[in-house]
Amino acid sequence: MNEKIYIVIPAFNEEKIIAEVIGEIKKSGYAKIIVVDDGSGDDTFRIAEEAGVIALRHKLNRGKGAAVKTGIEGAKKLQSDIVVTMDGDGQHDPADIRIMLEKVEQGYDVVLGSRLLNKKDMPLVRVIYNYLGNFFTWYLYGLWVTDSQSGFRTYSQKALELIDVRSDRYEYDSEIIREIYRNKLKYTEVPVGVRYTEYSMGKVEKQGFLNGLKTVYRMIWSILS
Amino acid sequence: MPFHLYQIIVTSIAVIMIYQGIDNFVKGKNHPTALKLLVRIVVWGGMAVVALFPVITFWAAKVIGIEGNLNAVILTGFILVFLMIFKLLSAIERLESQISNLVRKDTLKNLKTRNLKLETQRKIRR
Repeated sequence: MNEKIYIVIPAFNEEKIIAEVIGEIKKSGYAKIIVVDDGSGDDTFRIAEEAGVIALRHKLNRGKGAAVKTGIEGAKKLQSDIVVTMDGDGQHDPADIRIMLEKVEQGYDVVLGSRLLNKKDMPLVRVIYNYLGNFFTWYLYGLWVTDSQSGFRTYSQKALELIDVRSDRYEYDSEIIREIYRNKLKYTEVPVGVRYTEYSMGKVEKQGFLNGLKTVYRMIWSILS
Repeated sequence: MPFHLYQIIVTSIAVIMIYQGIDNFVKGKNHPTALKLLVRIVVWGGMAVVALFPVITFWAAKVIGIEGNLNAVILTGFILVFLMIFKLLSAIERLESQISNLVRKDTLKNLKTRNLKLETQRKIRR
């Protein structure tokens, strides 16, 4: 296995689950893990550090996009070849990483994990939010993908060098799609399983309709400004 | 020419705002720039002039090409407010981005040392 695969996990107040998430990824055979604690008010950072991963901490909460970017910048500094990003709430299954890495080995620059290609357990409200997110991403950035808001993605070294995203919050995920389109990167989507536990659903609520509107507003603003 | 109450109120506020701007500029308070002072004088001075000489609005309406002097003033006001909001939002955006970059720089400061420590621990455990 490539020694320079880094798994980047943004985390905000995930003390209840972060050790389990790290443990699962390690069990799947990936030792190089970067957890970016985005200014949590709980013990996320300490738990991640004790779990034996590279734990980084934002002194101020800057948003999921900013945390992912910090993790990716860190991985680049450590000479990574491939970076996988996953959410810190345990909704993603590390077993899917292997399929994504195979796609990178086949020559794809970006592999997007898509929950909508595997939506059997997905709550209807999430399906609707995702379609809306996909629509606005396509309308504003020009590329249709089935899950523009997925945080489970894999990037080749070429993609890591070319992608330039400045957003700090949830619009980061959509801006990645813009960068794929702008840089003509070779991409593919793979179905990924999502575990909608009570815990991760609690997190999902925080990304509800109002936050969705804010994300759309920020996407429009980033084009205007 | 008798003055209406609104003319006195608007003019008084405008004079205070312009005075404050000049005072800040002279004393160097709140990061003053000539542009900020100029904008303040133009905006508040403009309001005072319109309040004192309402007849100017007819001339403005003719120049802008909008029928009705009041409509011209409201439209100009909207455009100015929109421009100010746009400038303000851009400044906030720029500041947010700078804060994120600073936080990121600070976060990644000791990354290589941390990684080395972790690698050493792993090797010892093996």
